[in-house]
Amino acid sequence: MKKLTFILALLTTIATAQKSTLIMNGTAHIGNDSVIQNSMIGIKDGKIVEVVDASKAQVTGTYDEKIDATGKQIYPGFIAPNSTLGLTEIDAVRATNDFHEVGTTLPNVRSLIAYNTDSKIIPTVRTNGILLAQITPRGGLISGTSSVVVLDGWNWEDAAYKIDDGIHVNWPRIQSRKYLDEDNIYPGPYEKNKDYTKQTNDLQKLFADAKAYNETDVKEEKNLRFESMKGLFTGEQTLYLHVNNVKEIIEAVNFAKTNMIKKVVIVGGRDSWMVTDLLKENNVAVMVSRLHDLPEHPEDDVDLTYKLPYLLQKAGVMYCLNNEGDMEAMGTRNLPFLAGTAAAYGLTKEQALRSITLNTAKILGIDKTTGSIEVGKDANIFISTGDALDMRTNNVTQAFVKGVSIDLNNDQKELYEKYKKKYGLK
Amino acid sequence: MWRQPTGTMKQLFILLALVIGSTSIAQVTETFPVNGTTNKNHNTYAFTNVKIVVDPETTIDNGTLVVKDGIIIAVGPKISVPKGAVVYDLKGKTMYPGLIDAYTSYGMPEIKRMPVWGPPQMESNVKGAYGWNGAVKAETEANKIFTDDSKAADEMRRMGFGSVLTFQKDGIVRGSAAVVTLADGRENELMVLDKAAAMYSFDKGSSTQDYPSSLMGAIALLRQTYLDADWYKKDKTKKEYNISLDAFNNLQTLPQIFESTDKLNIMRADKIGDEFKMQYIVKGSGNEYQRLDDIKAANCRLIIPLNFPVAYDVEDAYDAANISLTELKHWEMAPVNPYALEKYVIPFAITTADLKDKKDFWKNMRKAISYGLSEKQALKSLTVTPAEMLNVSDKLGKLKAGMIANFIITSGDLFDEKTLIYENWIQGNPYKILDYNAIDVRGNYDLSYGGNHTVKLKVEGEPDKLKATVMADTAKMVASITVTGDAITLNFNPKDAAGTLRLSGNINANPLKFNGKGQLPDGSWISWSATYTSAMSADAKKDTAKKQAPTFGQVIYPFCAYGEPADDRDGFDKIINDFKNRYDAILIKHVTVWTNEAEGVLKNQDVYITEGRIVRIADDINATKMAYAKIIDGTGMHLTAGIIDEHSHIALISVNEGTQASSAEVRMGDVINSEDISIYRQLSGGVTMAQLLHGSANPIGGQSAIIKLRWGKSPEQMKFDKAAGFIKFALGENVKQSNWGDMNTIRFPQTRMGVEQVYYDYFTRAKEYDAKQKAFGALTDKAKATATPFRRDLELEAIAEILNKQRFITCHSYVQSELNMLMHVGDSMGFQVNTFTHILEGYKVADKMKARGIGASTFADWWAYKVEVKDAIPYNAAIMTKMGITTAINSDDAEMGRRLNQEAAKTVKYGGMTEEEALKMVTLNPAKLLHIDKWVGSIKVGKDADVVLWSDNPLSIYAKVEKTIIDGHIYYDRDQDEKMRIEIQKERARIIQKMIDEKKAGAATQKPVLKKQKLFGCDSMQENYMEE
Repeated sequence: MKKLTFILALLTTIATAQKSTLIMNGTAHIGNDSVIQNSMIGIKDGKIVEVVDASKAQVTGTYDEKIDATGKQIYPGFIAPNSTLGLTEIDAVRATNDFHEVGTTLPNVRSLIAYNTDSKIIPTVRTNGILLAQITPRGGLISGTSSVVVLDGWNWEDAAYKIDDGIHVNWPRIQSRKYLDEDNIYPGPYEKNKDYTKQTNDLQKLFADAKAYNETDVKEEKNLRFESMKGLFTGEQTLYLHVNNVKEIIEAVNFAKTNMIKKVVIVGGRDSWMVTDLLKENNVAVMVSRLHDLPEHPEDDVDLTYKLPYLLQKAGVMYCLNNEGDMEAMGTRNLPFLAGTAAAYGLTKEQALRSITLNTAKILGIDKTTGSIEVGKDANIFISTGDALDMRTNNVTQAFVKGVSIDLNNDQKELYEKYKKKYGLK
Repeated sequence: MWRQPTGTMKQLFILLALVIGSTSIAQVTETFPVNGTTNKNHNTYAFTNVKIVVDPETTIDNGTLVVKDGIIIAVGPKISVPKGAVVYDLKGKTMYPGLIDAYTSYGMPEIKRMPVWGPPQMESNVKGAYGWNGAVKAETEANKIFTDDSKAADEMRRMGFGSVLTFQKDGIVRGSAAVVTLADGRENELMVLDKAAAMYSFDKGSSTQDYPSSLMGAIALLRQTYLDADWYKKDKTKKEYNISLDAFNNLQTLPQIFESTDKLNIMRADKIGDEFKMQYIVKGSGNEYQRLDDIKAANCRLIIPLNFPVAYDVEDAYDAANISLTELKHWEMAPVNPYALEKYVIPFAITTADLKDKKDFWKNMRKAISYGLSEKQALKSLTVTPAEMLNVSDKLGKLKAGMIANFIITSGDLFDEKTLIYENWIQGNPYKILDYNAIDVRGNYDLSYGGNHTVKLKVEGEPDKLKATVMADTAKMVASITVTGDAITLNFNPKDAAGTLRLSGNINANPLKFNGKGQLPDGSWISWSATYTSAMSADAKKDTAKKQAPTFGQVIYPFCAYGEPADDRDGFDKIINDFKNRYDAILIKHVTVWTNEAEGVLKNQDVYITEGRIVRIADDINATKMAYAKIIDGTGMHLTAGIIDEHSHIALISVNEGTQASSAEVRMGDVINSEDISIYRQLSGGVTMAQLLHGSANPIGGQSAIIKLRWGKSPEQMKFDKAAGFIKFALGENVKQSNWGDMNTIRFPQTRMGVEQVYYDYFTRAKEYDAKQKAFGALTDKAKATATPFRRDLELEAIAEILNKQRFITCHSYVQSELNMLMHVGDSMGFQVNTFTHILEGYKVADKMKARGIGASTFADWWAYKVEVKDAIPYNAAIMTKMGITTAINSDDAEMGRRLNQEAAKTVKYGGMTEEEALKMVTLNPAKLLHIDKWVGSIKVGKDADVVLWSDNPLSIYAKVEKTIIDGHIYYDRDQDEKMRIEIQKERARIIQKMIDEKKAGAATQKPVLKKQKLFGCDSMQENYMEE
């Protein structure tokens, strides 16, 4: 019986794909700081074709289906950047982990083809309004190449939204911490990383070589690593520098500058608030590390991690939020609440929303087609009965990916229903 | 706190010690054959015209001391020199008793440490009939392994020491220590007291055995050793022969010395001492000034080091951020430690232990004196106090007839910077350091040579390391100078000649003058002379600089960021115990109150709190009559009961003693860390109480500590004394070590099948144990005396407490099969699980739990991190609540612990709990699970005033804590927090400036390296305490 419902739901999804939809009378949070209290949003052929303030104007198009969203909130689909969603299923089981390839410099390794659209985690994530994600490899000095996907699709080809959008560098640590045992259970004290200079020199050499290789017309022998980095120098791809410590940030930004990389993003950026001028000058954006974290030093402001987005906003640095860290794949569903926290600690609610929608789209280079509820963009939007940035009220009733209403059921809901039934609970 | 036995008891102890340690000082080893002719010396030595510091209280200005056969035979102002004595005229010199260091490993063999990593080692690898644990080395006897080490002795002698306590620094029980002199010679001649003290620590040392892997394990091991030794003594059957326990019993009459590596360890040691009627002498770590009240209350004597930290290199602002406020302040305040102890009248000896470079000893001693330590106390701490501690005050520490002839001859006041130690006499034998007959040639001179050259000569430095400079007009030349007896050699390069001028000559003492012959660079001979003109002028400058009393910041409680100074503290002069009593009463006006009671949520209420209790809740309480109360306007705000984290691992030194399948004997209460910043951070999230749990490394873990987050107080003061006893159990992947790698496949159990058997085995044994204990307890005292003695077993005792409903189980658990299993074990063995914690599949067995009245403490939305949480659903809490199970949401995470209100709110989203039900999951429900809801968990008249004031609906992501109140005192205040941030910045800046000044003045510095706070979850195996 359960299975049947599921199949029916899928059929419905496919059937409605052709329909045009008008979402009526909801409060639309556009994603660009503006709010329309009584909105009319028209969707046709997967695109947003009309966004009307009903108190000022009339809808011009005609639609197959009308959804009454009176009293509800409408948002652009949230975007989870720097995510391992679909690359892992159970953290402790090695066989399910596909995010960390062996080797240290692997720019040519691509996350997209390992992205599992059938991961059981994904349906639990989009239930909270997250509709897109940047699937990102981990580990090594250069982890590989990420891609942006929508969280609905039969396979990775379907899901792909921006293929090979950028390359991820884990900036070497000036201080590092070694594990005392083979199983990485017992961490030792922080120590100065003796290899720091060597590691940064290696990176520098790799980038210089890749640049030279890609500028040569005749390649004697093909080098997959160098080839994969071409986009960094042409500006088609973004260089994501994963770095937290202030000194390392300074060095990483200077490194990108030296190598004339056009698009540079700091991922993590724990200390980025200390060097906002440098970031602004060099047009470097920050993908802020998980807000729900503790400050580095005991003497830091107790809420330093919470207010980091506000500090960047105030300084005029471009930023968005990500959820990298322990149990990150399953925790992706809490991304909206990271934004909620940023709103509690200095941002306006609409600025906070932006930090998981339009800002993220801009940083990922997909803002022309998504990130806000604006005419001409893909209809990646959802409806919630309440404020979606607050766990107390986040309740997604309908979501659209490229105009298609997606299934919001998941295994956890099924188990819930199963056991409610067992116990005769309402 | 256990007071030292007084009067006859104490004398008995000393007497016993003397009988045991009856080795007398023999100047000559009679029993040894002589190669060559015998060379016995029974001469008498008389030291006359000397200022004798007999002891810190008594000084003879001009006296005589007579020595024969290594013993002082007479001391006094009018002693006639015996006929035929060798006489030393020490006019102008001062004589002190030889110093005593009560904490060394002098002459001990090197301890071999084996690499730690490898498969688990469950048993001791010490061969022979010794005890079960390799960290209990009671059988070690320093007197048997001591060997003379003349190089190390020389270093100590140069500092003025004549005798030391020495022991093998290895193990939790380290055996006996001996008092030896620092003379060179046969070991047979150097022993003052062969069994002088029993030594202990919390460090298992070179033992490679797994147990104990944690501080609480070390404490449990020591407690069990006391019990075992007592049983062993009483057991006449002696079926078990045990060298270690025998030795342990023999140690008990000696002074007991415990090593502590931190101020909090002093209280930990003292608690063990209280239990076994033992008052330890504690070797401190140098940060005792940070918790003086508690140390004073422990009533113990201390042996403290002078290991003052070196300044950090703080010139790089980014790097300097890695030095904690604790480290900065300790750098500034460490030298005040001896003074603080003196002020608090805590008896203490001073040791050279823990100094990286022993040469810093006198420098640091003088620093301590400049910070207020009196010279009298300093001398006491180096002579009579250690002598008394070690029961050798009849032999050492003073200059009195009959005592060992250990004394030093100095140029003057021992603690003065300019004073020189000339000679150190040990057992009547001289060890020359400097020649006191040598003429002090330091000063300024007019030097003329070759008849036509006159230059200035300056001689400075230490008498054994002279430095000379020659000045001709504006030119300055370094000269090399050597003084041997009355001969002097001086070399320098004159500016008007190419090459070195070499001068040799004699020293004329009175008036001070040098003259002699020398050779010019060209080889021609000349005459030269130098006449003393004045003393060095630099000294005068130094003196004025020294006279400025050092300034330093205040002690804060706890001694880290966001700690606060105690009110009304004036330096170290006053003892104020309860410094958090800032407000007697608080009135919160116009606030929305989430009562957690039948009244539900009440709007626009006034809440009055005083003497730690909620006293009144009403529509309008007249503030004008409450002039003494602090009035808080709660308009637009929400007041809830304090958040209680049912599952926390903050504020702990260590979490897992996972080396055995059961560690029921360990107590988290032994390892509370009151200085953990997590406490403050969680206060900022509204947490007022937490159950500090053992980890989940083994089926039967350790005993919980339930604390109130009384930031600033000591570990003992944080404990909630009304709480019942709890113990951690664990099931599943962690206890069967599924994710620990291929090495860990040895310890039983490795499957869920084995886990069940662990429980059956332990509960069966605990039942039998309990029956035996009860039967033994029922005997008359007379019958007890003749009965086979009962051996108390701390592990089984804790499990028996479960059976007797005196201790309750919080069990880490995930899947339904294992939940079912433990419920069945409980049914058949006669116990009930109190709380299943984590319990992510609780929704699958909710009916079974309900039937047994078992509670649940779970995560809001965690899953997918291991196989056993595959079926975890965020609706779990809702289903269990709807089934009538008392359900809490816990953190198990230092970060999430400060957002528990948000985690509770998720149950509204997942499963449709009402907001009131949701809030109860982190307040009233955990209180019920911990059996403390009588006092906390709701806002009700008469309950403890543990409340939180929120800026918004407490379940909203936008809600921030304004104030967290525990026992009616404000422990977190958003406005105060803002002020403290500024204070911390200022304090850091002030100390950093001081460090930079020191660096500029030439002081050594060290590079800052971030020491990151360690955070514990259930799986954490790393231990802070292993680091030293």
